[in-house]
Amino acid sequence: MRPPTARGNRLTVIAQDPAVLDRRGQVLTASVPVPAELLGPGPWGYRVQVVDYDATQDRLYPPLEYAVDESGSVTDRFANVDPRSFIDSIEFHSQNVYALVMRTLARFEQALGRRISWGFGGHQLKVVPHAFADANAFYSRADEALLFGYFEARSGDMIQTCLSHDVIVHETTHALLDGLRGRFIDPSSPDQAAFHEGFADVVSLLSVFSMPGVVEEILARKSGEKGESDRLIRVDAVDPKNLKQSALLGLAEQMGDEVKEVRGEALRRSVSLDPSPAYLEDPEFQVAHRRGEILVAAVMTAFVRAWSDRLQDLLAVSDGFLDLQRVAEEGRDAADYLLTMNIRALDYTPPVHLEFCDYLSAIITADVEIRPDESRYRFREHLRTSFADFGILPASGTVVPTQDGKKINPQTTAAQPTEPGAWVPCSTLALVYDRTHADPLTRDPDEVFRFIWENRADLALADEAFSQVLSVRPSLRVGPDGFALRETVAELYQVLRLRPAELERRLKKIELPEGLEDDDLIPLYGGATLIFDEYGRLKFYIHNALDNEARQTRRLEHLFARGALPERGARPRDFSRIHRLRSFNVGNPREEW
Amino acid sequence: MPTPTRITLLAFQVGFGDCFLLRFEYSSGRPRHVLIDFGSFPKASWLKKTGMRKVAEAIKQQCGGKLDAVVATHRHADHINGFTTDEDDPGSVIASCAPDVVVQPWTEDPDAKRNANKPTAAFMNAFAPANAADAKRAFLRGQAFVESLDDMRALLPALNRNAELLRNAGYRDLAHQLAFQGQNGITNRRAVENLMEMGRQGVARYVYHGADSGLEAVLPGVTVTVLGPPTLQQTKTIKKYAETSPDEYWLTMARTTLRFYGEGTSSFDGGSGYAYDDAPAYARWLIARLRTLPARQLLEIVRSMDRVLNNTSVVLLFEAGGRKLLFPGDAQLENWSYALEQPGVDDLLEDVNLYKVGHHGSLNATPKTLLWENILSKSNDLATVVSTLAGVHGGDHGNPTEVPRSTLVTALESHSRYTTTQSLPKTPGAFSETRIDV
Repeated sequence: MRPPTARGNRLTVIAQDPAVLDRRGQVLTASVPVPAELLGPGPWGYRVQVVDYDATQDRLYPPLEYAVDESGSVTDRFANVDPRSFIDSIEFHSQNVYALVMRTLARFEQALGRRISWGFGGHQLKVVPHAFADANAFYSRADEALLFGYFEARSGDMIQTCLSHDVIVHETTHALLDGLRGRFIDPSSPDQAAFHEGFADVVSLLSVFSMPGVVEEILARKSGEKGESDRLIRVDAVDPKNLKQSALLGLAEQMGDEVKEVRGEALRRSVSLDPSPAYLEDPEFQVAHRRGEILVAAVMTAFVRAWSDRLQDLLAVSDGFLDLQRVAEEGRDAADYLLTMNIRALDYTPPVHLEFCDYLSAIITADVEIRPDESRYRFREHLRTSFADFGILPASGTVVPTQDGKKINPQTTAAQPTEPGAWVPCSTLALVYDRTHADPLTRDPDEVFRFIWENRADLALADEAFSQVLSVRPSLRVGPDGFALRETVAELYQVLRLRPAELERRLKKIELPEGLEDDDLIPLYGGATLIFDEYGRLKFYIHNALDNEARQTRRLEHLFARGALPERGARPRDFSRIHRLRSFNVGNPREEW
Repeated sequence: MPTPTRITLLAFQVGFGDCFLLRFEYSSGRPRHVLIDFGSFPKASWLKKTGMRKVAEAIKQQCGGKLDAVVATHRHADHINGFTTDEDDPGSVIASCAPDVVVQPWTEDPDAKRNANKPTAAFMNAFAPANAADAKRAFLRGQAFVESLDDMRALLPALNRNAELLRNAGYRDLAHQLAFQGQNGITNRRAVENLMEMGRQGVARYVYHGADSGLEAVLPGVTVTVLGPPTLQQTKTIKKYAETSPDEYWLTMARTTLRFYGEGTSSFDGGSGYAYDDAPAYARWLIARLRTLPARQLLEIVRSMDRVLNNTSVVLLFEAGGRKLLFPGDAQLENWSYALEQPGVDDLLEDVNLYKVGHHGSLNATPKTLLWENILSKSNDLATVVSTLAGVHGGDHGNPTEVPRSTLVTALESHSRYTTTQSLPKTPGAFSETRIDV
């Protein structure tokens, strides 16, 4: 048999969801590239296995099988076909979820320059397109699966969450984030709890935005609603405020009436939030599913500002109108760029106790490392401004003030950040390298730990704590000069469990809640992300110290108030329940005992 | 007009449930009595067989054979199954006390049920519809909501089946919660019919925030304010709900659940498939893990239903002779949110003298800041009464799911004269008395 030569497949997917029709009244579809692979029935590939089992009906449906041509490309039987003929086909549902999960995975791998493992240790994520009868969809680490529900709409029609682009990408992002930062589901700050939801929303919004045809349809529809041409757009319609109204709100509104009930109007609320620092302390925004909206609002505000700025160049030659296609293309390109920035930032986040300020510094650092010149979009500037509008300042504090007392240990840093808000590099620190070897340092957790242990005083590791290197991953980037840069990203994790009396000695200002037993064990977590450069030298040490008294006190008081500590029968985060709370818009921990 | 000279609250021992007899005494004439809820679920062993009837007879004895009013705050079994004419028929004993007024939430209005064809005062009085079409939409929406609560009865076989499945899979705590919360929400038909009949014999009031309860007509010198529940129209105006409609999400859940779990289940016609036992090897691991998924989803749905029903609770404030008594049923944050957003309610709740603790002392029925810290705990002379039984609702001591919640009990004990039915003997007819001198 001849080896396959195809480099990629193209598969038809629903661009938004079946309730959203284009101006011809047809369901909007798109043909998306996915990596070429030899697919088994399911489809079943090297990273994803679609298993069409319906737990409510206790029924397993036959898998989708593809015919393959001479080059090894699969034959997409749904290409160039009226969507009405396949929208109810369970085989198409399998293709839709497979393609969008793989597209999202490929997007992450492209941004990070490496393969991304799932968080549960296996190679293949199960994707179940008709898992149960319920208006819900979620990622389950325990089941190693993405589970999509179906439910009855007001009209009596069946709504399949496996046909909603936004829902599929949102859930896939949970799975990918769990693979990259597995400790983000531990009980911690309100920001960390919110980050999973907010980040998944950012990725799904930007991902839908970058689908061909979507932005054009939204803008054309909005223009049409105002009685204007659907090929031109007025110049004043592309200022940030109007773009937000038309493009973002238009997208959120079009998320399908029925699917809104699954997503709980979250996207619509996020893009409607007016910038204000008040949300961070507002009791309503202490719950994860609402707090995540602040992150979405900050990122998407920066997006529309950058998009609008790009269009200013076009305005110079316009006569009061702009070509709608061109406006949409700029929006799509900007969305794609920003999506890459957000994904790359994950490598620069600490592995535990993530707060929004950390994420902002991570985005800035990740981008300035790869693209010092940001004249095209000025996203870093826009993000600093938009986050500040929501009261979030970068965590990196030698140039701009911090908001949480996070101090840079002068022993670990001897340089200024390359740009305001970026992490401070520590390449000038006098660390001991000659007891480790450069080559295994790029891949072996024990070698990395050997390095950390040797330098534990300078790296300000907490004594008495259990320490573990959770991961060592390569990161391949193309530098500003076009050369490939090979760096290494490692995660260090620390945990120390203390009795109440020990806690009070260590964190002098902590107020412990009543009802703690003398032998209750309260965990303190700490950790760091280490970025080694191409020479094996430590470039960044992004450390959330276990001994940061202010942060630990704040975290513990938040968790005590929620009843999440002490850990008596505590459960890992349950995405099913969180999504349902989001739909019901309930939960205000301040009002609970 | 005569005013009460003494107010007494009798809290009957019903295990996990509510049963309160509120007595207003006057310088002349007979005392007036209001029975607020009568239910127990799951029934403790000492209440089985003839236990509930004995409680009913004790109520009858205490009110001298005449009830002036009955209030059934909401339809959870632990609040209304004492009105049933089934089993040992405690409901007939209550009916023989011939209450003049029967108060229930608007969701129990028979004019809102299936086959009703006219809008009810409960829906319409809460807002001014712009036109007939607007009024009809509001009626249909309310009707759909109310029907969905009734229709959940069809889930009972599925609840029991799935509780068994969870138990067999080792999820004993989840199985208990599914059975308990689910059955607690399934309407006790005989109790509902008896309440309707008593209402027909006297005056039936189906109330919402701001409505006339009809109680003032039978309680001289007493002002009664209905603080909850909000109607659907009122709920929409709650700040945090301005852009969402929780009843619409609930309706989606209810429709789907009933279609696939209830009686007459229909399947999603996705094409031919084959049952687990024939499943190929590649799917068996996943299928084994997912088989309890519908049961776990059903539990989440049941918990949502529990919350929805709690938020239909009638919330009443009685005022007499300068004293204030607050009875919120099992109202949770959403029900309270509407009331506390209305102008003047904060002032109205200042210096409450008696607070019947909501939802048996759970973590989320006495809003900690909005209600307790900002208002109730500032009262100069507060008595609190809770009808509860530890260990029924689940959750170890210190766990947020425990009922009663220990942190709430600590606050009640330190800021009020606290009474709990847990300290009563486990005997049908036992009760505590809390006196409020006027």
